[in-house]
Amino acid sequence: MKIKLMLTTSVFAASMVSVAFTTAQQPKPWPVPEKNAKMANPVKSSKESIAEGKSLWNLHCASCHGKTGLGDGSKAAQLKTQPEDMTKSALQAQSDGSLFYKISEGRNDMPSFKKKIPEAEDTWNVVNYIRTLKK
Amino acid sequence: MKLTIKSPTRLLKAGLCMVCCLMLHQVSVFAQDTAATAKQAVTPAKAKPVKNTFQSVWIIDNQTVMVPVKGTFEMDIQHRFGTVDKGYSDFWGLFASSNIRIGVGYAPINNLNLGIGIDKFDMLWDVSAKYAILKQTNGKYPVSITYYGDLAADTRKDVGNALFAHQTDRLISFNQLIIARKINDKLSLQVAPSITHQNSVQGYYTKNDSTGQTIFQQMKHDHFAIAFSGRYKLGDATSVLVNYDQPITKHGTNNPNPNLSFGFEFATSGHTFQLFMGNYTMLNPGKNNLFNANSPFAYTQADGTKVKGGKFVIGFNITRLWN
Repeated sequence: MKIKLMLTTSVFAASMVSVAFTTAQQPKPWPVPEKNAKMANPVKSSKESIAEGKSLWNLHCASCHGKTGLGDGSKAAQLKTQPEDMTKSALQAQSDGSLFYKISEGRNDMPSFKKKIPEAEDTWNVVNYIRTLKK
Repeated sequence: MKLTIKSPTRLLKAGLCMVCCLMLHQVSVFAQDTAATAKQAVTPAKAKPVKNTFQSVWIIDNQTVMVPVKGTFEMDIQHRFGTVDKGYSDFWGLFASSNIRIGVGYAPINNLNLGIGIDKFDMLWDVSAKYAILKQTNGKYPVSITYYGDLAADTRKDVGNALFAHQTDRLISFNQLIIARKINDKLSLQVAPSITHQNSVQGYYTKNDSTGQTIFQQMKHDHFAIAFSGRYKLGDATSVLVNYDQPITKHGTNNPNPNLSFGFEFATSGHTFQLFMGNYTMLNPGKNNLFNANSPFAYTQADGTKVKGGKFVIGFNITRLWN
């Protein structure tokens, strides 16, 4: 009986440890079709565009990606995939077209924003705002 | 012989010359404008409607001018608690009997939203349609105009037709024209005249005076009202909401009270939460406009009875969007 109890306790403890040390998966590569990646940004970065993008960011993006794009939003810990740090050059090196594609299409935890942000111009505003997050 | 030019003649000539120059300048300016217009005509910059006049389709008890984008599915959960006037004894109405509505809406095509819901009070089912007629566009339309129509059916059990003589007496229709303007990024204002029609009025009353006996209908079948609403954004996700509904039609008796409501709205990507106080307890615009018994202000009835104001209830609206 004692052995059974010990065994059960050990299995439970081991499972708890494994859960405790499970971290959010690192993002897998996200290929963007060449046509989309090369798409030019038709919205010139301006004070108005960045303000519009920031407003949309705060409403739609900040809860996961964080207020400043560090990937530390209040929902981030619940996600299967850790949101990428948008202040780093790895993300900032991506083309405007790639960012536009990813926001529009979504993947796994990242929802598609085609309907949530119906105007393409607004998605470009968000892209322009993301550029200001670079450190 | 010395040539002399009379001063008035010279002034006249100079004046004429100036006018000609100005006219020529005007012509050249027009010519430039025409050329510019011609250039623009090749690649017209289409003016777009203003965005997000309001964050939600609701502004407390009223509909906003907003119609969700095509393909949006929305769920509404609305709650109105008891009146706050009993204070701690029922925790300002939070522990009193409350009214609840659960509804869903879907936008099958652009500018149209269809909805259906059920309200605990009177087991009232409602179907609604909302159509965006005009959208505020800079240089084109100064306001947005949306039509909202709602048909509600009281589905309580009615053994022996004690409540309703005919099945059509269960119906109330509500039609509203919503006119709104986004004044700036923070402030949006809305005015919405409406007409509510009840198929069955509550009955008759008799008045005896020196002229004899007269029989009056307690209420008219049609009721006009007007709603004023406003939103002021405190941040990207937080706003202050204010709403006032004024009855216009004067009935024989049972005149409904106006409604004053105010509160906050918190928005996320897929939700809006509105937390507020107001006088309306029913969760149907027609019923509220016809039968609101809670008054924000103290008043004296025709028979001299003084009625206390401040009959507010706490309430909330939650909307969840899937799009």
